[in-house]
Amino acid sequence: MVASSLRSFIKDVRGAKTLADERSIITKQSAKIRTKLRDDRLSNEKKRVNIQKLLYLYILGEKTHFGQVESINLIASDNFVDKRLGYLATLLLLDESQDLLTLLTNMLNNDLQHPNKYIVALALTTLGCLSSTELARDLYPDVENILRTSTDPYLLRKALQCNAKLIFKDRSLLEIFPIDLIGSKLLNNQTVCTHGVLLGICKVLQAILISLDNSLKYHSDSELNDQDEQQRQKDLEQDISIVKTISELIPQLSSRLSSLNSKNLEPAYDVQGIQDPFLQCELIVTLKWFFKIGNNLKLEEITQHNSSFDYLLTQLATNTSSAKNPGNAILYEVTRSIFELQLSQPLRVLGINILANFLTPTKNSTIGNNVKYVGLNTLIKVVPEEPAAVQRYRKFISQCLYDYDISIKFRALALTFAIMNEQNLKELTTELVKFLEQISSSHYNYATSYIDMDDSKDLVVYTVDSLLRKFEIFSNGDDKAEMDTLLTILKKTGNFIDLEKVNEFLIAINNIDDLQHKINTFSQELSESFNKKENKNAPFENNTCMDLVLVWCLGEYADLIKLNSYTDSTILNDTSIVQYLLELNDRYRLSNDTRMIHYILTSALKLSAKIVDKQALENLRQIIVSHSKDANLMIQTKSVQYELLFNQPDSVKKLFLQAMPKFEKKIMDGTEANLSYRGLASSKPHETKNDILLDLLGDTTTTSKVAQSNAAPEKKNSDLLSELLASSGGSANTPATSGISAATNETISLPSDSVLIHEGNELQVYENIIDISSGLAHLELYIKAKENEIKNIQPLCAVPKTQKLTLSQLRPGNDIGVGEFAKQSLKISGSGKLKLRIKLSFQKNGNAASESEQFDYKLDKTI
Amino acid sequence: MSHIKYLLLVSRQGKVRLMQWYTPLTPKQKTKIINDLTPLILTRKPKMCNILEYNDHKVVYRRYASLYFICGITNNQDNELLTLEIIHRFVETMDTYFGNVCELDIIFHFDKAYDILNELIMCDGSMAESSKKEILNNIHAMDAIQNNDHLDRVLS
Repeated sequence: MVASSLRSFIKDVRGAKTLADERSIITKQSAKIRTKLRDDRLSNEKKRVNIQKLLYLYILGEKTHFGQVESINLIASDNFVDKRLGYLATLLLLDESQDLLTLLTNMLNNDLQHPNKYIVALALTTLGCLSSTELARDLYPDVENILRTSTDPYLLRKALQCNAKLIFKDRSLLEIFPIDLIGSKLLNNQTVCTHGVLLGICKVLQAILISLDNSLKYHSDSELNDQDEQQRQKDLEQDISIVKTISELIPQLSSRLSSLNSKNLEPAYDVQGIQDPFLQCELIVTLKWFFKIGNNLKLEEITQHNSSFDYLLTQLATNTSSAKNPGNAILYEVTRSIFELQLSQPLRVLGINILANFLTPTKNSTIGNNVKYVGLNTLIKVVPEEPAAVQRYRKFISQCLYDYDISIKFRALALTFAIMNEQNLKELTTELVKFLEQISSSHYNYATSYIDMDDSKDLVVYTVDSLLRKFEIFSNGDDKAEMDTLLTILKKTGNFIDLEKVNEFLIAINNIDDLQHKINTFSQELSESFNKKENKNAPFENNTCMDLVLVWCLGEYADLIKLNSYTDSTILNDTSIVQYLLELNDRYRLSNDTRMIHYILTSALKLSAKIVDKQALENLRQIIVSHSKDANLMIQTKSVQYELLFNQPDSVKKLFLQAMPKFEKKIMDGTEANLSYRGLASSKPHETKNDILLDLLGDTTTTSKVAQSNAAPEKKNSDLLSELLASSGGSANTPATSGISAATNETISLPSDSVLIHEGNELQVYENIIDISSGLAHLELYIKAKENEIKNIQPLCAVPKTQKLTLSQLRPGNDIGVGEFAKQSLKISGSGKLKLRIKLSFQKNGNAASESEQFDYKLDKTI
Repeated sequence: MSHIKYLLLVSRQGKVRLMQWYTPLTPKQKTKIINDLTPLILTRKPKMCNILEYNDHKVVYRRYASLYFICGITNNQDNELLTLEIIHRFVETMDTYFGNVCELDIIFHFDKAYDILNELIMCDGSMAESSKKEILNNIHAMDAIQNNDHLDRVLS
């Protein structure tokens, strides 16, 4: 029998023990259906069974294309059963993009005129789901006919829905659509105008308004020639006249909405105490579209209702109960209309209040969650419009940080950062630190799944990132608090964030002015950390980021920390500091991230100038030497070079191992953070480094060394600084030898189009532009020695703060003979006018004393 | 205006029990959506909210006993909260029709479930009728015609 055989098929599939069993049942059945359907003599009853089985295959996600034609054929039958199943199958198995739809035209045409209203309804449903543009054109008259003649609300609502779809499909149908029908026949007739019909009317009106809106958008985008322009104008006028006609319905729709909202009469439409929220929302959206277009085109017919719509929205906002989800759905729709139409300020504040109300916890947790999600999501969008109103709900937003749902947490975070400003920085930071604390500790408290761990990692990284960025924008002038916050964050979240991020912490810490507090804090941190090492029972926390910061601060501030009055010298002394470094060196020697080793090396080098204990010094040297055979080339290079520096006398070392200057960070392309040194020289570090090393290696006279160290101590600072922070660690050092050997036998000649920009006592400087494009300029400077041989030229260049300068190596070398040239190429990136300040220091005629020439040069070009 | 892109009914074991697509998609895209969403939604904890972002649109779901009702909706157009109510309407209507509906009812009488769905949601996924009673009356009327047909054939 019919049911039983479909039933048995379903049972078989469900009863299959293994996936392979199930597969074989399905393939067998599928093949059987395929052959059966090809058989023309099959009775309709059998056909139905097969189509039903086919539909089950469809639900299982199997291929069903072979049944499409048979499904359509079933519609042609006179029996209601066949038609019903045929339409269902057609609706499911076909979609709008298929050519097969043309087969439907005739059948739909017949059925749309069928005396049985259910058959008409089936045809309308199918047409609504599957209407290609051709079908829309061919069958539109039938649908319109139903609208005109039928008085059955059931058919009318289906016809309206279908009509709306057809108008979407083919806009030209709008011209013939009998708009007056809606007002005269439907809206004014109480018996006909059921909720379903009203939903349909809304749908049609929306279809008209949206397609008009689309064509307005399309027209403003495209440029047309005169003829098209005229056509366009005509279309537009016609559209506007249509809108004017339908705008007569606004008062009726408004009063419908208003009465729906205030009364609750019919139990059939009641949803948890709210009268038909579906229709209410649909009416709000329809009206919103009216006003959107009306305000856009400044149509008197629509704008005259503006104030009454404002009033209506206020009424809805105050009367609708927010206790249950349906009420919230309406309130949500109201706020969306308020912000989409950019209504007056009091209404916007009302909207914010509604949304903020969504954030307050309710009894029912899941429903409350959805409302929170929606509220936060919308608030994020509208913050820029009413920042002050959102500010007031900081507490609510902070509460959402502790929601169970990660997506809500994220949105609450985003919103918190969106409302952060100078005034509330402190308050919100405290809140966020609390949040970080909670999330990182909960991570230890119970065994969480990997997903949760990833989630909290994302959250932490996002929070820390945004917080650092905010710290950069707003300084609240309270260095102490900022310092403490930074350290707390590091301690709490060190396990979650990348070492990469620590750079930004270091920059922030380095830029803090209150040195005393900084030293006090670090002194305390180090003491604690050292204590922990001694006390083996203390829980071992592997906070690499914190270690890194401590290593860095030892290198920077060890001398100051030792002198600090809070420091307990029994815990913090030369031996213990070096011991600490040694331990870390051993611990991280084998770790994958070599960044730590880079920091340890630099710190060891810097400490060498700050420590007096002989044994400790030797240990420091051991740390550096221990990496001289490191498999990592960069570390190896660094170790060898540092050892050379290490062995220099203190007087030399002190100069270039000074504490770091303050530096500012520039955000390039939004992601890459470039560091540049704020000061006279922003010379490329590579070069100076090379020079120092060259001198050291070449064992030149001490005089030149002194001269050099006099010349630019800051420069070396910037060098170390960038090295310390460069993500690749040692890359700065690699070209140490190669650059020099290549530089010997090159003579430079002056290009013909270069311009003289400086005429000094000893030097002439020419400038030649290679290339200037937006954001990037490439220049060359040619330095000519006039009457004396010049040695050891040190070019120092500076550009405006908005730009970044890269200096390449001086060619052919730092020494030039009489009448010879040296070439210096400069790359400037950034924006603004091109301006250069250049200082050239040099030695003349083998004279040990250093001389210098300085000049400014402005190009008439902007990048 | 509500503009549901698709409605899926998925069991807790990840089996599809019903699907209806209101936008034309290739079979490949459909399979991808099902395969992506099923694990995503089945692993969500009860305390989490019922809205998630997927590709370019939002997905609203709700669990009833062992079945997940999943709706893809259009961003910035659909009302997430209202979509939850539409799902609930659908479930309520089936509940009255089948009398305490369970997963098995939907498995064995998927055609009926589709009939109810088509009365509730039409065209491009827009709500066509908000009254449960009205929908049920029409479904029962159609069932009656179908049975009469049947009876006529047996008699003749």
